[in-house]
Amino acid sequence: MLASWKQLIFQILLLLISCRHINTTSPDPTPPPLVPIDSLPRDVRRAAFKGEGQIEKVEVLNPVNLELVCTWTGHQDKESNITGFWRKDGLEIENSHLTVQLENEQYQLQRVFNIVSEENLGNYSCVFESEVKIDFVVAVPQIGEIRDKPIVTYVGDSGMITCKMEDSKPMPNTWKWYKANGTDKEEIFAAAERQRYEIKNNERKTKLLVNNLTMADSGLYYCGAVYTLSTSMGHVELKVITYFEPLKPFIAIVIEVIILVTAILLFERSRSKKNDTEGDMMSDQTNTLSPGENNGLEESSSMRQRKT
Amino acid sequence: MLSHTYITQPVLCLLCWRRRELSQFPEACIFLLYLLSTDKSVLDMTNPKPKAESQSDEAEDPDGGWGWVLVGALFVSTSLVFGLMRSLGIFFVEFVQYFDESAHAISWISSTGLAAQQFFSPLGAALCNAYNARVVVMTGGLLAGLGLILASQATRLYHLYLTMGVISGLGWGLVFTPMVATVMAHFTRRRTLALGLAFSSIGLSSFAFNPLFQLLVEKYAWRGALLILGGLSLNIVPCGALIRPRRRSKAPAKVDSETGLSPVSVLRRISSYLELSLLSERPYVTYTLGITLLNVGYFVPYFHLVAHSRQAGFSEYQSAFVMSAAGASDILGRIVSGWFSDLGHFRLIHLLSAWTTLAGVFIMLLPLSSLSGSYSALMVISLLYGFCSGALTSVVFVVVPLIVGVERMMGALGLLQLIESWAGLLGTPLSGFLKDVTGNYVASFTVAGSFLILGTLTMATLPHYFSCTDPPPPPQRSSLDDKNNGLHSELEHMTSSPGSDTNHRGV
Repeated sequence: MLASWKQLIFQILLLLISCRHINTTSPDPTPPPLVPIDSLPRDVRRAAFKGEGQIEKVEVLNPVNLELVCTWTGHQDKESNITGFWRKDGLEIENSHLTVQLENEQYQLQRVFNIVSEENLGNYSCVFESEVKIDFVVAVPQIGEIRDKPIVTYVGDSGMITCKMEDSKPMPNTWKWYKANGTDKEEIFAAAERQRYEIKNNERKTKLLVNNLTMADSGLYYCGAVYTLSTSMGHVELKVITYFEPLKPFIAIVIEVIILVTAILLFERSRSKKNDTEGDMMSDQTNTLSPGENNGLEESSSMRQRKT
Repeated sequence: MLSHTYITQPVLCLLCWRRRELSQFPEACIFLLYLLSTDKSVLDMTNPKPKAESQSDEAEDPDGGWGWVLVGALFVSTSLVFGLMRSLGIFFVEFVQYFDESAHAISWISSTGLAAQQFFSPLGAALCNAYNARVVVMTGGLLAGLGLILASQATRLYHLYLTMGVISGLGWGLVFTPMVATVMAHFTRRRTLALGLAFSSIGLSSFAFNPLFQLLVEKYAWRGALLILGGLSLNIVPCGALIRPRRRSKAPAKVDSETGLSPVSVLRRISSYLELSLLSERPYVTYTLGITLLNVGYFVPYFHLVAHSRQAGFSEYQSAFVMSAAGASDILGRIVSGWFSDLGHFRLIHLLSAWTTLAGVFIMLLPLSSLSGSYSALMVISLLYGFCSGALTSVVFVVVPLIVGVERMMGALGLLQLIESWAGLLGTPLSGFLKDVTGNYVASFTVAGSFLILGTLTMATLPHYFSCTDPPPPPQRSSLDDKNNGLHSELEHMTSSPGSDTNHRGV
């Protein structure tokens, strides 16, 4: 027992020591490439410094050799040499410090990055003299048209969530759906649960159909547009409510209608009862006068008719 | 397109009428269809009421008291019928997504609803003639609510056609014509104002219902929202309950002296309830024809104005604002025209002709004002057009009593609704066709305006049109029937009217 414990501790120590040398957040993008670096296509993006907080969006789909070029016109008193370096995701890239010469009234920083995997995507910044910065956000196309309001559905009903990639952006290779589980995302495999989930994929559109909803199906659903390099996510909230929710205001309105109708009918009945008692009294008087009154009424009404 | 403002929705909808530009603005088109269909019903609502009430009616409710309560009831029920129809466009977007159907198929729901309302109007009128207006309206309210409640349970699209379309449409048809006729029966001098006030509810309620429906759909999805709408529609029932049952002098006249149930007598009774004999009288047919021609052109601006102003180069919001402004002046026009007509300075038929001609002229000026490129010119003409079109709707109804008489008002209303509904079906496709052929809206608007003027000219052929005073009302129906019935009804008059008078005087 003791021997096995010692072995375990020894192995853990070894692991920790070796782990220190593994830098997973290496800013230098050179993981073993699946494709020889030289055969990758080359893409160039240029940006000139315009102001603070400048962000350039770079959309990449497939592995590429991305050359980023930054130019800056400099201060009023232009020094001949300034320092510049590159950052990725806020961390300085090792060995990227350069001395930049003033050429044609501007300074130019350029570097080629090998974008071959998801790790290589991110925020690349070129920095002049630690003060002037241009950000390049290198990412796969993001899903733009997505519903921001939650989709409301009922228990037992079926809900459909749609994700669409705009026509102006490149088509994804495929689509994937995830359901949020706490902070994690679980992929939804429609083939495994055919009764409950159905995924219809079109080139630009994807639809997730959830059948036989239960309260547990509420939550965030993520649609992922899968590109070679990475997957861009969009999320939609699905809310499942029971029929009692709308039933409450409905019953309130029905009760209000019944009360109104009853009140109106009762009011009328009480009025007509009053009239009946009055009418009985008056009819004795009017019966004696009826022939004369009738003639009078007929004459007056016929005169009224002729006038109009 | 997922977050609409309440202005751009109707505007964009107008762009899509008749599914022509649907591919570009799917949600807007659906909404537009709704807006259009409900605007039709606006004109339908202006069914004229017979002026010559029975003697007992005049003595009972001279222009006040309970009449204004009924105006309030008509206000509420009209908003629940047409205001609701107009705002159903918000559901269309949800239906397209849920049922995965084209906007064309979804738009048929509102078309069915409106068509049912217009088709069943004579039925509503006939039932009121045969039985009690109160019962008919309350039943109509129940049916309208039931249709929407059942629609909330729909699992297929055709369920919606049957429930929201046929059942609710039947309910609406049973509600509208009887309520309008009853309100008109309660007024003599203030008819136009009463109607104008009541019909202003359409515009006002569509302003209120749009955000309300949006909120309901967001909170409860379309199923829950339809359920709640069904409950809201049930509010028509108390409105109907407010109608006081009165001894109708018409009922005895309508009842055949033959008591048998032979097919001939049944048919004769049905035709008398439906007032089919009106179709053989020249004044009524002339008037109906005039109103039908009016209807052809009336809705064209509602459908095409926004598209036209977009084409003329104005922005989405500018075009939408023009439409909203026209809608607001429409509401104002109804009330002002109602008040003005009742002052009695001019004959109603002359006022109607004036408003119709002006509306026609302004419709024809619309393309000219927008082509000149001036936004203020377009706005002014649209405001004027909105005012005139609202003004004429108040008056259209009240003229009919002058033509057909009080007794036949109910049936006349029903038949008029049915006949003029065809005009709406003709008008908008025609204008759309003209736009497709010529490439712009100038021809459509010109033709629409000319139809209105043609309607005025048709109405000018009515007898006694050019005299300064109203002609005598047509003789009472009872005197035209065979003598037995006539004497019978007159006797009933004599025995019933004092009693009913004293009953109501006591109130």
